Amino acid sequence: MVAFTRRNLLQTATIGTLMGALPAHAADDGVTIGWPSDVTSWDPNQRFTPDAQSIFKAVFDQPLDQDAKLKLVPHLITKWDMAPDARSLALEFRDDVLFHDGSKMTAADFRYTFFERIKAGHKVDIAQSMRKVTDIEVLSPTKAVMHFDSPAPTVPVWLAFLGSFIVPKAYMEKVSPEAFALKPIGTGPYKLVEHQMNARIVLERNDAYWGPKPALKRVTIEIIKDPSARVAAVQSGQVDITTSVPVREVTRLKAQPGLVADLTPVTKVIILQVRNDEGFADSNIRLAAHHAIDKKALSQAFYAGAAVPVSVLGVPGSPGYLEDFTFGFDPELSKQLLAKSGFSLDKPAKIRMASTNGQFPSDYDIARAIVQMWKKVGIEAELEVIEYAKYFELNRGNKLPEATLYTFDNATGDPEIYTGYLMNPKLPFSPWKDMTLGQKVIDQFNVADEKARIAGWRALNKEATETGAAMPLLQSVMTVVRKKSLELTPYGNGWILPQTMRWG
Amino acid sequence: MPRWLRSARVIAGLLLAGLVLTCALAAPWLAPHDPDEQDLIAMLLPAVWQAGGDHAHLLGTDGLGRDVLSRLLYGARVAMTVALTAALGAAVMGATLAYIAGYLGGRVDWLIGRAIDIWMSFPPVVLSLILMTGLGTGTRNVILAIVLVDWTRFCRVLRAEVIVTARRDYVTAARLVGFSHLRTVIREIVPATIPLLVTLLTLEMGIAVVVEAILSFVGLGVKSSQIAWGQMIADGRDAVYQAPWNLLAPVLAIFVTVAGFNLLGDGLRRSLDVRMVEGRE
Amino acid sequence: MILLGTLGRRLLAAVPILFVVSLLLFVALRVLPVDPAAMSMPPNATRDEIEAARRDMGLDRPLVEQYGVWFDHAVRGDFGRSIHLRRPAAGLVGETLPSTIELATAAMLVASVLGLAGGLLLFALRDRPAETIAETGTTLLMSVPEFLWALLFIFVFGVALQAMPFTGRLDPGLQRPMVTGFLLLDAVLTLRFDVLRSALVHLVLPAIALGLAFAPPIMRVLRASLLDTYHEDYIRQARLRGISETRILLRHALKNAILPTLTLMGVQFGFLFGGSLLVEVIYSYPGMGNLMVDAVRNADLPIIQLVGLTYCVVVLTINSLVDGLYLVLNPRLRAR
Repeated sequence: MVAFTRRNLLQTATIGTLMGALPAHAADDGVTIGWPSDVTSWDPNQRFTPDAQSIFKAVFDQPLDQDAKLKLVPHLITKWDMAPDARSLALEFRDDVLFHDGSKMTAADFRYTFFERIKAGHKVDIAQSMRKVTDIEVLSPTKAVMHFDSPAPTVPVWLAFLGSFIVPKAYMEKVSPEAFALKPIGTGPYKLVEHQMNARIVLERNDAYWGPKPALKRVTIEIIKDPSARVAAVQSGQVDITTSVPVREVTRLKAQPGLVADLTPVTKVIILQVRNDEGFADSNIRLAAHHAIDKKALSQAFYAGAAVPVSVLGVPGSPGYLEDFTFGFDPELSKQLLAKSGFSLDKPAKIRMASTNGQFPSDYDIARAIVQMWKKVGIEAELEVIEYAKYFELNRGNKLPEATLYTFDNATGDPEIYTGYLMNPKLPFSPWKDMTLGQKVIDQFNVADEKARIAGWRALNKEATETGAAMPLLQSVMTVVRKKSLELTPYGNGWILPQTMRWG
Repeated sequence: MPRWLRSARVIAGLLLAGLVLTCALAAPWLAPHDPDEQDLIAMLLPAVWQAGGDHAHLLGTDGLGRDVLSRLLYGARVAMTVALTAALGAAVMGATLAYIAGYLGGRVDWLIGRAIDIWMSFPPVVLSLILMTGLGTGTRNVILAIVLVDWTRFCRVLRAEVIVTARRDYVTAARLVGFSHLRTVIREIVPATIPLLVTLLTLEMGIAVVVEAILSFVGLGVKSSQIAWGQMIADGRDAVYQAPWNLLAPVLAIFVTVAGFNLLGDGLRRSLDVRMVEGRE
Repeated sequence: MILLGTLGRRLLAAVPILFVVSLLLFVALRVLPVDPAAMSMPPNATRDEIEAARRDMGLDRPLVEQYGVWFDHAVRGDFGRSIHLRRPAAGLVGETLPSTIELATAAMLVASVLGLAGGLLLFALRDRPAETIAETGTTLLMSVPEFLWALLFIFVFGVALQAMPFTGRLDPGLQRPMVTGFLLLDAVLTLRFDVLRSALVHLVLPAIALGLAFAPPIMRVLRASLLDTYHEDYIRQARLRGISETRILLRHALKNAILPTLTLMGVQFGFLFGGSLLVEVIYSYPGMGNLMVDAVRNADLPIIQLVGLTYCVVVLTINSLVDGLYLVLNPRLRAR
């Protein structure tokens, strides 16, 4: 019997070694991407999912695009002209664009996507971004005019942002939106050929694409939710490129032969969202809390110093950013401010704080470090971990705690989509419900003149920080690890587009 | 010396469990650092015997520069609290129902039997996850979830034993003498099932340690401000290349604790001559 | 026929259990402090829109009525839609269940082989000095739950040796053939041996991690039953007739000792099925466990409800099958 067992063990061992060989490398005309999250629905208008934006951009096209420097550039729309009162927008479309089923894309599809779907009650998030649209007039297959009920100067920006992808009217009406979400058709450089939930997405080149042909024929996207598993996958060559790996791994992976690891600042801000009441009703406590945070140390510890500390809602280089304004790290001032309101190390101010864990790199670590920094000046925070999905629910119900660690992604860089969303008491993104600042923010949405618009947002940015209504922390960085021979175009907003990839 | 104390297994188990309990009780004196003290400059130091190790941190530091050894010692507190109270709670609930069912029989027995069937049709991990979703995080809720899931382990085995015991002559005699039901159960039946109960209790403590670690690992366990081995594992997984002891130390700690309880339970089972169905989870 | 009848009766007996379980699950999930209506709407929905959604979903009606509606839909195969993924729950579970069954079956195979071999080894070592060591070994083995094995294997084989893949089910670049939904089976059916090989390689670490954790009890029960069997008369008689020890063990003792072992293995299979959840999470294995943990984190009630129910169905089915198998192997019970 002993012999029997031993033989068995030996067999198992042999099989183990035989199968231990590493997988073969991908062929030259294909690429494998390790991606942190799945596409929850292939209806690209349905949900604002920043994580899926790069994948959507491979299968669908946006009316307008941004170049690598984030400048708005023509795409399906060749010309756009905003009326001076910002109440209508004239558009011209390309005439050589085909959907994956061979049918032609026209202005009617544009009207369907951005107007008819919303009116028909489809549950789409673009109903929010297009809420000022009263009608879209189709003049010819290549010409249309959008009409708005109030000044809508940022609609062109939105046409290149979340959820704005043109879907085929005829096909979707034929098969129903549900069926479309399972078997989508776009105009993009790649077609979807396979999607296995929580496992992989396979794309194949659209040889009839109107724009520049992608270099790679086949794109395999492996869904690997676990950051350490993504690291292992790229290190062992199972995937050619991956993103959102822990920052400290970047330093280590840089030293590996054959790999390139980059840390690049993107248009995302890491902020503390604050309430205007409860434990934060007193502006002394809010300002003390802000002064107590050593942003530079956070950046050093968790982002290898690559994340730039910011003092207003926005990132350096974006129009609403104030280069000459800083809100300093000053624990002594924090203590003085707290003392004014009667708090001290022995009698700390008590607040609650929420953070996600794993929603963005080191989020939970940053939250725990902030709790520690506050403890040193006399603020005692009880930290709670919440799921990303729960964040929205809490925020909508006005149930977020005094401080919430959050990132806000704004691929456009426009200040309306930073400050206008984060500080607007009427929108579900803001726990700040005080109308003194809130009304100013709401009014700012209707400023049509571009110069006055930007200047207004800059002033509001400064005011929000100085009154302790906003606590911007860092400009977020993106981590990308790839094989040295794989080249791609880096985008300032963090897009990783398969159509820009090629083997060098 | 009682027979059960002469078993090598029992002694080894008591030593291991005692060691962990001592760590838990004496953590404030044993720990070289404040387990929550962060040092953002000395993050992810490797263990002292590895290249780049620091004598101030024997097992290195974690992703926030906290001392791994200190956290390990403090982590024993949650583990032992949960192990002792949850196991006891499950034992009390399971045993009470078992005595009621086994002794009274009839419809009550049938009802409790069906309840066990229903509980047993759920994999324990799945059931505790669902319970924790409803209860929310926190040590108390972890304990409650374990009690609510694991009472069947006691009830199932004890019930059979109680049925056998209740039919014995001396139990019938006790009733004939005029003892009340309660008194009969407490005086005659409970003592006969004590060896089995103690054995099950010991094994359950090991299970409770594992369940707490699992729940904390997926983020549905104790509060995030508390120090727990499952959380250390979840944190340490991201740092496995730089500081593997962040992961290995709590893994080892769980193993030692569970092994201690299992050795003890095993030794008791043998020396108290308890017959029971084997099974994990 | 008798066998089929018994099996049928066991399965029928499981129906009321399932009913009660579904009711309990439903009630438990409805009292959770989450609002399914709010969560199913886009973040910019107004309060009125959420109220409308709540009415649409029937959340304003009494709990009993809600359960009635749910039950009515459920018997027609409609288990609601995932709030987070916005797809029918039944489809999601249907897609992930085969993967979990494959993992659990492979792990059970590992557990059985290791368990039976270990049990025979333990038995062969009886009354020898090595016995104590071997038995203590099984106790220690029992002290390592599957999620610790899973982590240790990743550390040793994935990270330190870099010998084995440890995420997902297939190498990138391989397209998954789709016939039945069971990957291994589909690979064989479509003669895609490259896919089969890759899928098997990916299955090695999770299956062993899971199987190893459930093997020690099998070892012990087999050993104990063998010891019991050896006290029986017919063994002594066989010895007197001069039959070799190996033959006695294989032909006579094992045949009887296997019965209790089988019962235990059935119970183990049920537990193992639940244990697969953590292993799936750790290995990013696209099964029902991952679906469940995601659903729990996002409070995706329809999914939690259906996955919980599915785990129950699987466990109850396994139990019924084991009972049936027990009858086949034990003619004495069949007579009754």
